[in-house]
Amino acid sequence: MAFNEEHLADFLPLYYKRLFPHSLFYQWLSYGDQVMFSKREISFTLFGDVYIRHQSFGTHEDFVRELHKKFPVKIDIGAIYTIPPRGKMSGKALTPIQKELVFDIDMTDYDDVRICCSGADVCCKCWKFMVIACKVMDATLREDFGFNNILWVFSGRRGIHCWVADQNARFLGDDVRSSVAEYIQVIRGGISIKKVYLPGDNIHHSVMRSLAIIDKYFVQSIVIDQDILGKERLNNFLTIIDQDLRGTFKDALEKHESSEERWKAFETTYTDLLQKGQIPRNLRNMKEEIKLQYCYPRLDIHVSKGMNHLLKAPFCVHPKSGKISIPFNPKFVDTFDPAKVPTVILLEEEINEYDAKTKTMTDNADGCLMKIKDYKKTSLLKSVVVFEQFIRSIEKDMKSKENCDMMEIM
Amino acid sequence: MDFTARKRKSSKPTIPNHNSLFSHDLNMYNVPPTGETTLEEFETLAIERLQLLRILEQANCKGNKLFSEDWKKCVKEDLTKLELRKFIRLLNGLDGQTELDINARKADHLSHYILRLAYCRSEELRRWFINRELEWFRLRFMFQNQNTLSRFLESNKLIYAPITDEQKDEIYNELVMSTANMSDVSVRTTNFFKVPFQEVCSLVKNRKIFIKLGFAYIPTNELIVCVQAKFRASLSEALNVASHRLPSLDDERINTFLMNLNNSYTGKDYSSVNSDKKDIDPADLDSYSKKHYPLCMRHIHETLRTAHHLKHFCRLQYGLFLKGIGLTLEDALQFWREEFTKLMDHDKFEKQYAYNVKHSYGKIGSMINYSPFNCIKIITDSVGPGEHHGCPFRNWDATLVKQKMLDHGVSTEGIDTILDLVKNRHFQIACTKYFEYTHSLQAPSTTINHPNQYFEESVNIIGEKKKIS
Repeated sequence: MAFNEEHLADFLPLYYKRLFPHSLFYQWLSYGDQVMFSKREISFTLFGDVYIRHQSFGTHEDFVRELHKKFPVKIDIGAIYTIPPRGKMSGKALTPIQKELVFDIDMTDYDDVRICCSGADVCCKCWKFMVIACKVMDATLREDFGFNNILWVFSGRRGIHCWVADQNARFLGDDVRSSVAEYIQVIRGGISIKKVYLPGDNIHHSVMRSLAIIDKYFVQSIVIDQDILGKERLNNFLTIIDQDLRGTFKDALEKHESSEERWKAFETTYTDLLQKGQIPRNLRNMKEEIKLQYCYPRLDIHVSKGMNHLLKAPFCVHPKSGKISIPFNPKFVDTFDPAKVPTVILLEEEINEYDAKTKTMTDNADGCLMKIKDYKKTSLLKSVVVFEQFIRSIEKDMKSKENCDMMEIM
Repeated sequence: MDFTARKRKSSKPTIPNHNSLFSHDLNMYNVPPTGETTLEEFETLAIERLQLLRILEQANCKGNKLFSEDWKKCVKEDLTKLELRKFIRLLNGLDGQTELDINARKADHLSHYILRLAYCRSEELRRWFINRELEWFRLRFMFQNQNTLSRFLESNKLIYAPITDEQKDEIYNELVMSTANMSDVSVRTTNFFKVPFQEVCSLVKNRKIFIKLGFAYIPTNELIVCVQAKFRASLSEALNVASHRLPSLDDERINTFLMNLNNSYTGKDYSSVNSDKKDIDPADLDSYSKKHYPLCMRHIHETLRTAHHLKHFCRLQYGLFLKGIGLTLEDALQFWREEFTKLMDHDKFEKQYAYNVKHSYGKIGSMINYSPFNCIKIITDSVGPGEHHGCPFRNWDATLVKQKMLDHGVSTEGIDTILDLVKNRHFQIACTKYFEYTHSLQAPSTTINHPNQYFEESVNIIGEKKKIS
């Protein structure tokens, strides 16, 4: 059965009652302390675009009760404040004290470089942009910044979200968040044609690592699949190149037909010019600049900069696609297929099917009833396991930190 | 020698006494002043420090690159002009210990604390004050010799140990690749320090240093960034505390004086719809955008007219500007609604966008009456893909700037001047020149530092011309 937005109201009660992993959700957001949870902003969007901000819930039970009463179309997670945001006095600003460091990458920001789809659509070809983004950022966050507790989430339609929950990431001030985000943002925003500049003789270690990741995909997924040097697109490509060199490249590239051959021609011409010393010093990294411009992660940087910025929670149901915003393991992002993300409809079918099957089985086995969690009966299981691992690793970090603190006291 | 004596003193875990506090030109201002002062001296000191901070700000506006030789020269000249001898003395790098030196340092210390009282009152004022004080701190830092610096760092417990040669060898290649403006040879000979990345944000942001597992490896000449970050953090914290304690400062003589200080000296913030001006008619915005808008706003306005939509930060930048030029809330709602509903239904607009418009006028939510953004804010704002806000002179390709200049009737000579300024990152001067070339070579009264200033000056110039003709 295909999903239709009007069905949402029918499916959400079942989803929140039987599938949404609220216990894990609570475990995560409380970080072992109920008081923390009670000061956390959790906003709901209800049917008809009714948006309730500055909500917070005293306990796990309060949260579940509201969830089962309101069946929100969307849940957003905000910061932990000095007081429960629910008790906010009008006209007084709240002071945030901690929140995960978050990143948001949306496929629409790639519309000028992808040809397979546009807007809200996504397919396996353009999903490769997300694969690259996820791998580049995951490596940067772990290797450069030393973060370990990272959750990657499919946003429900066409993008990905990243939550960094390490203790020292959660307490970063806005200025540090900005500088981390800008460190990662190599692409210049705005409406400029050339979006990446790597002046200087050396390329930064972090950018080099990103380029090594990009190289695994560049020719097949970008040059060929997105046909970046095809007929109508060759001109776009050439405008990125400095005016003085453009002619030379134009001549060389136009001798060939396919994008793949043209890219080869670009590479040979570039190496050739470089050896002859005909590329000015400040343009020497132009090949790298071009690669980055086409597929380096494009962040919605504002989301990362402010501690008080909200971001959609994992395990929400996307109202348009019916898909669940599921966490995934970045190691297997290559095989992640956005088309195969479970929808609420599929999950309901899976539960019913399972129950029907076990019913006949337990009937036969004379009623030895095993209580099994509903999500385990469905294809949501894999994602819940990823989520669980993330929470376990946070707990482990907190324990080892506690031990360290104890050692220091002793 | 008196060296050993001082050492013994500073190693005591007591509050540093004021002699050691005033033995260097630098000060972290961690110890509040004690003693008495006359009201007159209080006021003089306050005004002198304000002049100092204004000079620092002006040096930036004049287009000198921050902390460059030109910038330093400009600050020194202006200090001399206003005869602010005490401050000049702190830049002589002589590490003097005469009574004159000590007095200059005491005045620096006290005047800093007086301005804290005036500038802790709002977020905006705090930000302005912190930035200027940081510049002043760094300026003095640059004039000190190595010896004085070590003494200063040690007495403030800011102790950094370089990494060992073995540690350096392990990451040598990465250091060469990732340390900005440094050759292989200088990487070899320079000391590197391992510090948490949070302490050197500005270097992280621009990818100027090597970072591994949360630690940044910075060369000696960047250590100032760490010290500066500590200075910023402690000042910012202190201002927050001061702002909470302010209501208990119950002295009318001082209060009125302090209130007026910050009003008269940070420049206009254009936060209220100007009452002495007549309201702006939304129907006139198209013609205003051509005649009176700076490039950043004109671009946004034209984008809105063609795309019928703008992203959040773009709406914010333009919306607050419109508020500053006198568009009332009702007219603003009408203006945005008309444009946005060409693409969406009224319902969606009311739900998703009207709130933000009311919010920026301080009529809803936190009820803060936001000020229009000034140039510094606009220039430093980051701009994501598909966004149109920010400073065009900073964010656009040269070709694009050139094209727009041509479209807006700037002469080719003007274009060359402007592009040259852009290339040297003098964005505000470029904007000032743009003003000149689009206003029959009439210059604004000062360098453009606020889009609303641009607008007002433009309206005045063109208004006067009409009167004459």
